[in-house]
Amino acid sequence: MFDNYQVDGLFDEVFQASGQPRSHYASLVSRLKGLGLPAFERRRRMTDVLFRNQGITFTVYSDARGVEKIFPFDLVPRVVPADEWDSIERGLVQRLTALNLFCQDIYHDQRILKERIIPPELIYGAKMFRREMFGVRVPRGIYIHICGTDLIRDKDGKYYVLEDNGRTPSGVSYVLENRAVMKRVFPALFSAYRVRAIEDYPYNLLQCLKYIAPNHADDPGIAILTPGIYNSAYFEHSFLARQMGVELVEGRDLIVDRGFLYMRTTAGLRRIDVLYRRVDDDFLDPLCFRPDSALGVPGMMNAYRVGNLALANAVGTGVSDDKAIYPFVPDMIKFYLGQEAILPNVPTYICARDIDRKFVLENLDKLVVKSTNESGGYGMLMGHQAPEAERAEFAEKIKEDPRNFIAQPVVQLSQHPSFVEDHFEGRRVDLRPYILYGEKVIVMPGGLTRVALRRGSLVVNSSQGGGSKDTWVLEEDAQPVTPDTTA
Amino acid sequence: MLNMELSRDIVAARPMLARDADSMYWMSRYVERAEHAARLLLITSNVLIDVGDLAPSLQARQWQSLLTILRCSELAETNGDIGQRVAQSLTFGETNTNSILNCLIRARENARGIRENISAEMWENLNMLYWSLNGDDAKARFEESPDDLYRSVMTGSMLFQGLTDQTLAHDQRWHFAQLGKSLERIDVTCRVIETKYEILKSFEQQLESTIRNIHWMAVLRSCCSIEAYRRNYLGEMDPVRVAAFLILEKDFPRSVRFSVGEARAAISGIREVAHAGLIDPAERILGRLEAQLDYAEMTEILAEGIPNYVQRIQAAVNDAALAVQQTYFLH
Repeated sequence: MFDNYQVDGLFDEVFQASGQPRSHYASLVSRLKGLGLPAFERRRRMTDVLFRNQGITFTVYSDARGVEKIFPFDLVPRVVPADEWDSIERGLVQRLTALNLFCQDIYHDQRILKERIIPPELIYGAKMFRREMFGVRVPRGIYIHICGTDLIRDKDGKYYVLEDNGRTPSGVSYVLENRAVMKRVFPALFSAYRVRAIEDYPYNLLQCLKYIAPNHADDPGIAILTPGIYNSAYFEHSFLARQMGVELVEGRDLIVDRGFLYMRTTAGLRRIDVLYRRVDDDFLDPLCFRPDSALGVPGMMNAYRVGNLALANAVGTGVSDDKAIYPFVPDMIKFYLGQEAILPNVPTYICARDIDRKFVLENLDKLVVKSTNESGGYGMLMGHQAPEAERAEFAEKIKEDPRNFIAQPVVQLSQHPSFVEDHFEGRRVDLRPYILYGEKVIVMPGGLTRVALRRGSLVVNSSQGGGSKDTWVLEEDAQPVTPDTTA
Repeated sequence: MLNMELSRDIVAARPMLARDADSMYWMSRYVERAEHAARLLLITSNVLIDVGDLAPSLQARQWQSLLTILRCSELAETNGDIGQRVAQSLTFGETNTNSILNCLIRARENARGIRENISAEMWENLNMLYWSLNGDDAKARFEESPDDLYRSVMTGSMLFQGLTDQTLAHDQRWHFAQLGKSLERIDVTCRVIETKYEILKSFEQQLESTIRNIHWMAVLRSCCSIEAYRRNYLGEMDPVRVAAFLILEKDFPRSVRFSVGEARAAISGIREVAHAGLIDPAERILGRLEAQLDYAEMTEILAEGIPNYVQRIQAAVNDAALAVQQTYFLH
């Protein structure tokens, strides 16, 4: 089954260079071998039908209506041993704590700017810096309640943080659905492992939203704000509303009256106290941000600023996941917490700095260049793969607007066996764990392992044809005992 | 002490979003509409097998009547088998707003917008129904056996209604689904009676009694009522009895009277949550209609003329639907 499998000099999650499986994968590999390819293929078809019938899809914008697609699901789970997870978890808690302190600081005292840890022009030049939030006291002082942080592993197997998503990270619904489907299709695979449960995520999220409810509400009205059914992440919005039992609203369902937010029901208006908004800052309130937005509600920012409405995430968190601010996160951790970062960053060149820009322009063919305000794999140059003309085009763009670009060395993401057509091949993966910040910080044990479906591709975003797989974080002391392991 | 603890956990029913109520109502209406279209197509093709080529002009009228019943515009004049053209248009027709496919697309679209308001079972069932007509193999399955496809739509719809009953709390959401289903059923049933009655009346002289009976049986079948009718009247086919049964039967869930009662109960349930103690316009219309049907006499209906009578019912149902929209959807 894995006879022709190639490790190719990369870090392979499952196999060591010798071709032997790592100890925490040994029983999974032997079970897969016992199952055989035809049975595996049958189960793969079963999952396709399951996903389709349950409508677990995302929308790709290729025509006016958009096309509904199944998020490709890869049946071989990724296994993360307990000790490995332990340091990831500590690293993520540390990071989110620092990012929140940073937001609080930026919109109030700005100590980190005054002490010249971060150049002020980088903050004021950030598109996502919201001067409207300056001096605003947000509920419980929390800005980023929900964070998705992308982790990758380099050739040596070491984890790095690639980026933080502190605005409206998506994907958590696929994590939960992937697990549900795995349990249905491959119940036997679980028996050799003690996999940590992730099913309490919606409960934790709800607790987190209740925690920030304004004081006036004994029984707070909670809702999720979605741009609507044509949004690519609509499935997730509706999924979370269902899991938490809260209302799913659109801008047109809402109205602000005398500083309070209401939704229109069959029995008239009902107040909303907490809004988990899955709409970007720009579109929240046409009176405050983009006047052409039909997705938000006029007056919402006012209700928010006077404290009648709590928003998750807070407005203005984009300043913390700006790619040009990202290189300073280890400094923030040191500045606010007096600690060294547990999870390192990928080395990053900030094009706004003269010395960095010079280096980037001279070494474009060895670097990945990213636009600081884009996500989803858009606005990116893979220097080592791009043709000469595209590199020249990017060089011009960088010179024109240096603040908008950063560059990083090409990281050879780790790979994991994927089922391709009728056999297993290595495909690059990353990992996005989800972190909630309410009364305490909770890291979901697992996350979304995204898979680049094309051979050799380093881009895992779903909008760029990526898939996903279930991620198993093992319980402590639950290392599988398999006599045939040689590792 | 324990009782006090418990009573605190009982929370008042949450009113639903106006937009969600709107979608709930239409989701249910479109599923019901798809079921009627499928059944009408199935029955029409079957009855024409039974009566053969006896009356080609009657045959053409029968197919055309499906378009009238389902409020579709006439097909463009082209050559070819009228039956096949009508069947194609009412099954997969993209421009035909009431084709089965379009009904299911819109039912699912509405359901997708209120996914958090319906149960997983309802959603999965509706999704499967949708894919059975919009999947890659749907057309091939249709070519092979139109009957099977129609039957799967009918059972899919009934399964959906059963799931709605059994997996959804019988609160406002459920009442909106019931309301949509009942109003649609009344409307289609009235139109079946009206249209078929006129056709069969005009062909009465030309048809032998056996053939005439087959046609009347088909009318009952189109309303899923043949077996219940037979038990009541021991199989005697009489146009007036057929009409009386479909309009006035008290206990049969497909009759107009029964469905009006259901619609009235649904709107009362909705109003009770939203405006307890008041009577809303739709409830008044449906309540009056219910009383009228409860005390109606067949002789009066015949004196007025059956087509006229059912037209008045349709008008009342239409008014009720508009009133629901005004009161609950357009806040």
